[in-house]
Amino acid sequence: MKIRVQSFARFREIFGSEQIREMEEGATLAALLLEMAAENHAARAALFDENGTVRRYIILMLNKKRIDREELEKTTLSDGDELALYPPVAGG
Amino acid sequence: MVVTVTHEDFAINRLIEERKNPEMGAMVSFIGVVRDDGIERIELEAHQEVAVEELEVIRDEAFALFPLKSVDIIHRIGDLNVGDNIVLILVGAGHRQEAFEGCQYIIERLKERVPIWKKEYTKEGERWVPGKGE
Repeated sequence: MKIRVQSFARFREIFGSEQIREMEEGATLAALLLEMAAENHAARAALFDENGTVRRYIILMLNKKRIDREELEKTTLSDGDELALYPPVAGG
Repeated sequence: MVVTVTHEDFAINRLIEERKNPEMGAMVSFIGVVRDDGIERIELEAHQEVAVEELEVIRDEAFALFPLKSVDIIHRIGDLNVGDNIVLILVGAGHRQEAFEGCQYIIERLKERVPIWKKEYTKEGERWVPGKGE
């Protein structure tokens, strides 16, 4: 199945503004983040802290709905899902 | 009333004149501008569609919480120089207290929730302005 990932600001510079990722049926959001992190050191450091947990400040929006860190393991992806990856906002 | 995220600058005086109506006794505007923190310019980026939706939610919250007559929110993106306008929040109300409170409510929520980011360019290089908790 295909998942569209959009990244912004600092994350855009690491992951590109948009990518389509191929995932196995039933894959979780946690699995997607692990795959993205496995690509290079910058990607891993952006998403995970030194203990291997997803960084507290990252904002994840799946189909425009915010997903808490505690929900990553139980959030199952579906074909056509859209994930947006934000660093903390800094407008105004 | 306008809620938008745009590259265009805004004309504050014209907007004030357009919004005035006989029920309004107070208008409060907040204008954020690019401050010279030793920078040459800044670049603003938004997740445009979501940013506008979130600003609309914040506007609706402000209307629910305070007796407001009008709310306009214009946030700019793109390359901006020192002194350029970043954001305008214009609130009209019957009286000053709710106009001030409504305006402050909107800018505080905007800074907490709306997906917009700033990158500063200095002589030494560039850096993303860290958000809360980063």
